[in-house]
Amino acid sequence: MTGTASPAIHISGAAALQDETRSPVPSTQREGLTVSMLINGQPYQFNIDSRTSLLDLLRDHAGLTGTKKGCDHGQCGACTVLTDGRRTLSCMSFAAMNDGWEITTIEGLSSADGDLHPMQQAFIDHDAFQCGYCTPGQILSAVACVEEGHAESDADIREYMSGNLCRCAAYPNIVAAVKQARNEMEKA
Amino acid sequence: MTTSEAAPLPRENMGQPLARVDGRLKVMGRANYPADIPVNNLAHGLLVASGIARGRVQELHLDEAHAVKGVLDILTHDHIRGELEPPEFGTSGSSSIGPLHDDKIWHDGQIIALVIAETIEAAREAAMRITVDYKEEQPSTSFGSEGTETVAASEVSQQFKEDVKAGDFETAFDAAEVKIDVEYGMPTHHHNPIEMFSTTAYWQGEELTVHEPTQNVYGWKVEIARQLKIEPDRVRVISPYIGGAFGSKGPITPRTAIVALAARRLGRPVRCVVTRSQSFTTQTYRAETRHHIQMAAARDGRITAFKHEGWEVTSRPDPYVVGGTKTTGRLYNYGSVLTKVFLVKTDRPTPSYMRAPAETPYIYALENAMDEMAVALNMDPVEFRRVNDASQDAIEGKPFSSRSLMQCYDEAASEFGWSKRNPQVGSMRDGDWLIGMGCATAVHPANVAPCAVRITLRDDGHARVQTASHEIGTGVQTVAAQLAAEHLGLHPSMVQVEMGDTRLPPAPVTGGSSTTASVCSAIIKACEEIREKLARAAVTANDGPLAGRDPASVLLKNGRLVAADASQALKDVFKHVGSGVIEQYTEFRPDGASPDAVSNLYQGKMEMVSGEKGDMIKYAFGAEFVEVRIHRRTREIRVPRVVGAFSGGRIMNTRTARSQLMGGMIWGISSALHEATEFDWRSARVVNRDLQDYLVPVNADIQDVKVILVPETDTHVNLAGVKGLGELGNVGTAAAIASAVHHATGKRIRELPIRIDNLLG
Repeated sequence: MTGTASPAIHISGAAALQDETRSPVPSTQREGLTVSMLINGQPYQFNIDSRTSLLDLLRDHAGLTGTKKGCDHGQCGACTVLTDGRRTLSCMSFAAMNDGWEITTIEGLSSADGDLHPMQQAFIDHDAFQCGYCTPGQILSAVACVEEGHAESDADIREYMSGNLCRCAAYPNIVAAVKQARNEMEKA
Repeated sequence: MTTSEAAPLPRENMGQPLARVDGRLKVMGRANYPADIPVNNLAHGLLVASGIARGRVQELHLDEAHAVKGVLDILTHDHIRGELEPPEFGTSGSSSIGPLHDDKIWHDGQIIALVIAETIEAAREAAMRITVDYKEEQPSTSFGSEGTETVAASEVSQQFKEDVKAGDFETAFDAAEVKIDVEYGMPTHHHNPIEMFSTTAYWQGEELTVHEPTQNVYGWKVEIARQLKIEPDRVRVISPYIGGAFGSKGPITPRTAIVALAARRLGRPVRCVVTRSQSFTTQTYRAETRHHIQMAAARDGRITAFKHEGWEVTSRPDPYVVGGTKTTGRLYNYGSVLTKVFLVKTDRPTPSYMRAPAETPYIYALENAMDEMAVALNMDPVEFRRVNDASQDAIEGKPFSSRSLMQCYDEAASEFGWSKRNPQVGSMRDGDWLIGMGCATAVHPANVAPCAVRITLRDDGHARVQTASHEIGTGVQTVAAQLAAEHLGLHPSMVQVEMGDTRLPPAPVTGGSSTTASVCSAIIKACEEIREKLARAAVTANDGPLAGRDPASVLLKNGRLVAADASQALKDVFKHVGSGVIEQYTEFRPDGASPDAVSNLYQGKMEMVSGEKGDMIKYAFGAEFVEVRIHRRTREIRVPRVVGAFSGGRIMNTRTARSQLMGGMIWGISSALHEATEFDWRSARVVNRDLQDYLVPVNADIQDVKVILVPETDTHVNLAGVKGLGELGNVGTAAAIASAVHHATGKRIRELPIRIDNLLG
């Protein structure tokens, strides 16, 4: 979105924004750095400032604002995404380091027809959030937690979900949600 | 989904555990928080914060910053002077301190510049290239620092005009058989919602739109307009989802108008996201408090004298006070009461409200003292509270509108297994772990405020509820949909709720646990007006199954208007009305509010009717029990179990109620064992200004947390019968933990947080 010169103020929907950024806008800052990645199964190419974090790239260049900024320091977990299937704090990763990688954000977790991932449904069922701000990061972390095999016991879930802060403190509900989704993910 | 702990079965006077109506959006990442809103041609702002706590800015060296490619503008105090009205301290504004209005530095981390650039990266680089020459003065950090000024709160505060008292404390205290004289302290807390603070501002001609997470869209609209010297009608504030608030997004801070000014200068939208570390100094906080309690009792356990003195830190210019003695002075059946609140002025930002602002620190002190007195009397702490339970308040003798405190104690004690507790200190062990058990009272006033709502009902059974309230995570949108559906006889999925926008009818600030009570009372009133319109049309019609009936006897159920022996489909009733839609605009003014309370609401001035106002005391109560385990060698402290039972009048939704109370109790654990903002006392600067060093609980810190919802019906509190639960849960928890630590170790830790080093030796 950088460098566009339209003086008119226009709020576009998320879809329009994505189409607009699919063909990246050249950066007016520094030497432009070209990076390519597969985000939620879609190929993207960006021309960016070399200092751009993966988080800012997702939010400001790809228009995928489901990934949240909670501290920009790698301390809260709100920005968690999956890079080649592993959970990653996107605020602590330069976008350029992810060149050629496959990124999954919260927008890519449910199917195109709107069916929720078992983890998303479990978070609703167990009221595993209040304000919902840390939720995308919690859910992606939880999916990885199950896939890593770190969701076998309550104590394990608590330990391996401790990189994601929830200030509303839905922690017991998060543990219950991860257990439900684990059982369904293992069946599938 | 069948049954789960998340969805408790409703008991008497409780609503169904409907899942959150915004749940799907939130788990899909599609709930748009204010900094998520896509805006074209956006410029990025970054604050520059002061490196000293007191003095003046002599010179800002900006040349290197301006030279950074992509920098568009840098605002300093040279640019604001005359352009903006200074901020005001009051119900909407956090502080009268106007950063950038002049060169004066009032506190650490005060805004001294705003950099605007094409990208976040360029703004960050430019901000780092700014250097500052200061004229530094010695600041005062907190209690005991040189240069502070102590004043009586009642002499300087508009909100706290009187220290409550009753009877002759001195005589009763002198004459008593058992006495305690103790001091407690609670440190500074920062709310630290996970959503970062941000402002996005853009102008379309003379019209300003602000996207910012807020608990008070109307109050902010008026204050933004005042600071920018424009008409309030030209300002729109939008905040549909808020990523945690806890009070931090209630009062407006000076940044908002500065960012709006930057957008006007530039002719471009500007978004400024406050860094996590800047949020420790440019946003509000819970100030540290000190407490001195003297309590006396007869041998049979009756309290004969209670004195509570509180000291609260505030800024130099603003007399912010929480004054929790108004609650502690009324909680039990004391023979006599004496209270006094003092403010201590320091070189710090003006504090403001944080989850249970008055009760969290003050009840912490009182409930600790209650445990100490129970020990001194050799009484069971639950029985000690029972002996001193009150049917009327100790200050004015007013009856409580309802008081289920001892029911809460009995249900929680039974679930917890309190009877298995050996009262002997240090007597309970499990291997290397010392076990301690403690309990405490939770209390919060049942506040309510004026609220307006527009409900639109279509003949096809779809309804829309619109009110400028705020979804900070409490579930108010869910509760609003559920309640409107119940009263309009619809399925909740047929009701759409819109909140968080000044284009909607005004609602009060989402604070003081008043939102559910206020919004639900307005919805009930509006739904009744709709029912009456429909009923009147149906019964006065020449034909139709309901013609000639008493309009008061017909109700809306399952998409129909229903009498005892006949009914008519909504679509047909609307034919009698002669339109396809009813749009009902309703204003709710609570009992005890002034005649101007509703019209003031439109002007951003909120009038909250507090739980102490009127001829009854309206309080919500709870009882919390905790088990702590302390390792014999390492003194590691764990909290394996917490049980809380709460009575809050009508419970609108058992699911959202349980979650809110559970989160509250975890906040209580946090205030007991984790949280504290630390200062360098030489410089009055915050040391632990990030989420690595400012400790809050992580998942692994929390184990079994059980919430019991105790049935209670209270028709006095408000039309909805709701007392509010948002703040109740974290009142008392810290005292219960401190009491449990004493039970396990014999150590009475009176300064929070309780950490390993307090228990060594």
